[in-house]
Amino acid sequence: MATSNASMTGSSNLVKKDKRASLADAVRLIEDGSTVGIGGSLIRRHPMAVIYEMIRQNKRDLTLLGWNNAVDMDLLIGAGCVKAVKTAYVGMAMLGLGHNFRRAVESGEVKVFEHSESTAIDAFRAGSMGWSFVPTKTPLGSGLADHNEEIKFMDCPYTGDPYCVLPAFAPDVAIIHAHTADACGNVQLDSKRELDNEVDTLIAKSANKVIVSVEQVVSEDAIYQNPELTILPKFFVDCVVEIPLGAHPTACDCRYDYDLEFLSKYQEYAKSPETFKEFLKRYVFDVDDHYQYLDLIGLQHLFSIQRPKEIS
Amino acid sequence: MSTDYRIQELLAVEVSRHLIDEEVVFIGIGTGGPAFIRAVGIPLTACRLAQLSHAPNLVPMLGPLIDPDLDTLPSSLRDDYELVHWHSKAQIPEQEALDVFKRGKMGVGFVSGAQIDPYGNLNIVAIGDYDKPKVRLVGPLAQTDHCAFAKRTFITMEHTKRQFVEKVDFISGAGYLGGPGERDRVGLRQGGPGLVFTDYCVLDFDEKTARMKIKSLHPGVALETVVENTGFELIISDDIEVTPEPTSTQIELIRQRIDPEGLLLEARVQ
Repeated sequence: MATSNASMTGSSNLVKKDKRASLADAVRLIEDGSTVGIGGSLIRRHPMAVIYEMIRQNKRDLTLLGWNNAVDMDLLIGAGCVKAVKTAYVGMAMLGLGHNFRRAVESGEVKVFEHSESTAIDAFRAGSMGWSFVPTKTPLGSGLADHNEEIKFMDCPYTGDPYCVLPAFAPDVAIIHAHTADACGNVQLDSKRELDNEVDTLIAKSANKVIVSVEQVVSEDAIYQNPELTILPKFFVDCVVEIPLGAHPTACDCRYDYDLEFLSKYQEYAKSPETFKEFLKRYVFDVDDHYQYLDLIGLQHLFSIQRPKEIS
Repeated sequence: MSTDYRIQELLAVEVSRHLIDEEVVFIGIGTGGPAFIRAVGIPLTACRLAQLSHAPNLVPMLGPLIDPDLDTLPSSLRDDYELVHWHSKAQIPEQEALDVFKRGKMGVGFVSGAQIDPYGNLNIVAIGDYDKPKVRLVGPLAQTDHCAFAKRTFITMEHTKRQFVEKVDFISGAGYLGGPGERDRVGLRQGGPGLVFTDYCVLDFDEKTARMKIKSLHPGVALETVVENTGFELIISDDIEVTPEPTSTQIELIRQRIDPEGLLLEARVQ
């Protein structure tokens, strides 16, 4: 049949494009000096395996975009990969300040473009719609308007009401972590999920290239069964990387919780640049890939953060 | 009158008196320890008390989670699995939750900060010169949205001279800015700080000057204690009240029905 179809259309290549890539190959798409939009919020569903690999590949001079960031940005900053961040938060949720972030901003090594949650989200929204800027009232009167040099002022052309305007976020690459995708790049999330992270879709749509790590690659049939769970149809996606527990140590909705024990250990290591080097050596540079990293965390411990299985 | 109460119970009861029926009330999550009690524990307890006493239609919002059943608290307010499965009337995408602010539908936003000034401007961004900060803090989160758009903000603060300062180092949440009328001049059409709650007192803002004023002192707290722990001049009027003590019925409600496990007011995690 395939032969006769091919002869009818005159094409010999009717195979659907397989967007699966190894972690290392996917991360090679990220160039030094580029802007990277990072999915996830607080200590939830950040594409951590991708971030560890970015450090292994020694990425430099990155500008990171997000709306609510934690260990994801703190790690990249501590590893010296970052020159600027545009986000509303870099901290460790209930574990306090992000030590690497704090040191790098206090020393002037990393520049912060100050955002509130809604201004960062609206900048991604603008990017996802193909707009170059977006109006917002949020920064009026605040330090954001004084200190974020990208925020400018404009009166509404219809009412004369004062607004601030922001340039759209249009990252070179977006990295997000999701639950499943097929090999073609149709990305799905479980129906029961934390809706903070719905912003991930906007982050992906605003970017020029999109790398999605997933807990599991599934068949096309599995996607057909629940098309309403697709958050990104394949034409938004460049690379799919299968990485079970790829958000560790952050949470992955109802699949696994954040690893508070590991994050507390991280905070100890991050207290000084010297001890943080030990963290990077042990958990990033001395492991060849994500599976060796998981071995290091340990099966028993990883099972302890698993959550009850959902039947969708 | 009950004399056997904790300060967080007094505050929860006091906050609840100021919540209005049918209002939407936004509470953030994500902090731990004493900050959790101030930012989440006291506001949530207050919401349930208000629902049970005078505001049956009050709608609490915890990020994307709207109108959760406060009689069936999850065993942890930080575990995504528990939060997602918590009985609630709606779960909406975060970007739409923030649109509720911008649309002007938010009644009360609960906020806090590392610094507050006489006009209720808040700072959670940096201590010291912004360009060369002594301490870089976490960033504005959604505080700028709360303070720009909520009809009023309720501010829960630790009460020390380090926190109550003449001028904040960075305005991450706009209070009355430099004085009366300034919010409107910059284009903020509603909102502003409503009340400030501390372990010593409740403060509000003088209509003429937009500066902070002592509204009530908690039972047993001397005026001098408040003055000594505040880094700017407070407006002290003749009609300072005493914050009402919780009644035994209110205490019973808190301990037996609303927060029997100490999840809210003791920040216990199971």
